[in-house]
Amino acid sequence: MQEKIKKYKIKYIIVFLAAFLLIAMFCGLKLGFIKVDWLMMASALLVKLGLLPVETVNADIIDVILQLRLPRILLAACVGMGLTMSGIIMQAVVKNPLADPYILGVSSGASLGATSAIFLGLGYFFGAQAIGVCAFVGAFAVSLLVTFIADFSSSKAANNNLLLSGMAVSAVCSSISSLIAYFGSSKEGMEAITYWLMGNVANARIENVIILFGIIIFLFWYFLTQTRILNLMLVGRDAAMTLGVDLRHYIKRYLLLNGLLVGFIVFNAGAIGFIGLIIPHVVRLLFGANHKKLFPVAVLFGGCIAVVMDILSRTIIFGIDIPLGVIFALLGAPCFIYLLLKQNYRPGVN
Amino acid sequence: MKINLEELRIQFSGKEILKGVTLEFPAGKFTGLIGPNGSGKSTMLKCIYRILQPDRGAIYIDGKALEEYSVRETARKQAVLAQHNYYNFDFEVLDVVLMGRSPYKRPMEADDEEDYAIARECLAVVGMSAFAHSSFALLSGGEQQRIMLARALAQKTECLILDEPTNHLDIKYQLQLLNIVKSRKLTVVAALHDLNIAAAYCDMLVAMKNGSIVKIGTPQEVLTREFIHEMYEVESEIIRRSDGRILIVYE
Repeated sequence: MQEKIKKYKIKYIIVFLAAFLLIAMFCGLKLGFIKVDWLMMASALLVKLGLLPVETVNADIIDVILQLRLPRILLAACVGMGLTMSGIIMQAVVKNPLADPYILGVSSGASLGATSAIFLGLGYFFGAQAIGVCAFVGAFAVSLLVTFIADFSSSKAANNNLLLSGMAVSAVCSSISSLIAYFGSSKEGMEAITYWLMGNVANARIENVIILFGIIIFLFWYFLTQTRILNLMLVGRDAAMTLGVDLRHYIKRYLLLNGLLVGFIVFNAGAIGFIGLIIPHVVRLLFGANHKKLFPVAVLFGGCIAVVMDILSRTIIFGIDIPLGVIFALLGAPCFIYLLLKQNYRPGVN
Repeated sequence: MKINLEELRIQFSGKEILKGVTLEFPAGKFTGLIGPNGSGKSTMLKCIYRILQPDRGAIYIDGKALEEYSVRETARKQAVLAQHNYYNFDFEVLDVVLMGRSPYKRPMEADDEEDYAIARECLAVVGMSAFAHSSFALLSGGEQQRIMLARALAQKTECLILDEPTNHLDIKYQLQLLNIVKSRKLTVVAALHDLNIAAAYCDMLVAMKNGSIVKIGTPQEVLTREFIHEMYEVESEIIRRSDGRILIVYE
């Protein structure tokens, strides 16, 4: 009986968060530098769907809403959901509460790719997308390499080996990036790389964002079916073995999916930090460590927070667009510290 | 469930930990493994529950070689209660017990009414029903270990392997835990440190030293003054009670 009630409660929370996410995204379409009222926005959407003749709405407004704001707000939601998902998976795989989507060197792989594109002109035939493509390749290559190294270590402390090999590969990638940037020594290049590393959703392209959206929906569904395995990862490899699950297969598969996911997020939005670390912890504080509840709630919550942060980033200071990663750290970290101090938090991993 | 070991050998960085152990754990009996630290008790158990791979030799469960079973299948045959570590995860107690149902579930399959019923029943067996919705991390060490026992019982296996499960527990909890195990009439293989506890609960004792078996028999047969001196280098006196149980008093 009680199990049923709890299940319903979680369902309500999920429905509430999904509804909030949609409403926030609609608000995101409306709010911004150029003022658009609700009527205008509704008619713009109807025009796009072919339900209203084109002449009824100012073409510039349609452009602002559909070309600028829609991809951006959808990307913000994807980034929030995707990085939270990745954070939860990585924290379970390496059994370490400090893990985040970039813990295994993915971000340094991405920045090596981006640096190579900016300073060495790598991948120039991708045109404007060269930086993103190279970053994706770098990120995915590094996660493959780290998975490969960890697979070869037969030691018992395999979680630590994963972390250590991630850090080692990360250090190598960062040094090469620094070297390239040092010899390249162009001011524009440095600015481009800084901007890119901060991460932002301002340059979203709808055709890429839709692919990312598809990946996120698929992985969300897939990992909803994997919550039992994620829970067993917290009890550890030996205990999981005695419970009939050999975690090694799953770890390899999860790392590859994570590399793909994070690589694609980085391709779209750069290396946005902190979301993937903090959102899982915030939701664990409130709902406990059981992934059956944690996973859906945290992923939707991550999406909501990212959309709200994106709206704030373009409205908080009139006419200035603050990168999403920056505003998230500025507003999110103090809230998180407050929660940490207020509650007796057990992250669920030893 | 019957477990047979045949010429089991394992070595770590050149040091031989098990030196060709051949042994049978009979079905339905409580078998205790005793021996000083480093004698290979725990290593042997870890080979049986598949955390370690023996270098040579074979393990048979009900006459079939261990490698021929999938990990899932062995988890339906034998459950393990290992040495107690303090767990820090914020799970509901019932969720922890439900993990014991994993060997019966496909990854995509949700827990059904039957799993909940079994989990609740096992919680009742260890006397922790009232804590079903408490946070696991807030329980005491003894309570946590009883929940781990409930998780092992929820696997519904014929055999229970106890790998020094009562280390770090107060005597009250040690006895409580072993009484519950004893009452389940399972095939039990237990590595135990305390000889008095081993004598009180085991039908059969296997004494190990330096990776080899040195004596097998009932507690009365194995635990003699001379043998304890030979094994542990301590003097003792064996007191036989009127009910047949023996007590060991160290000099």
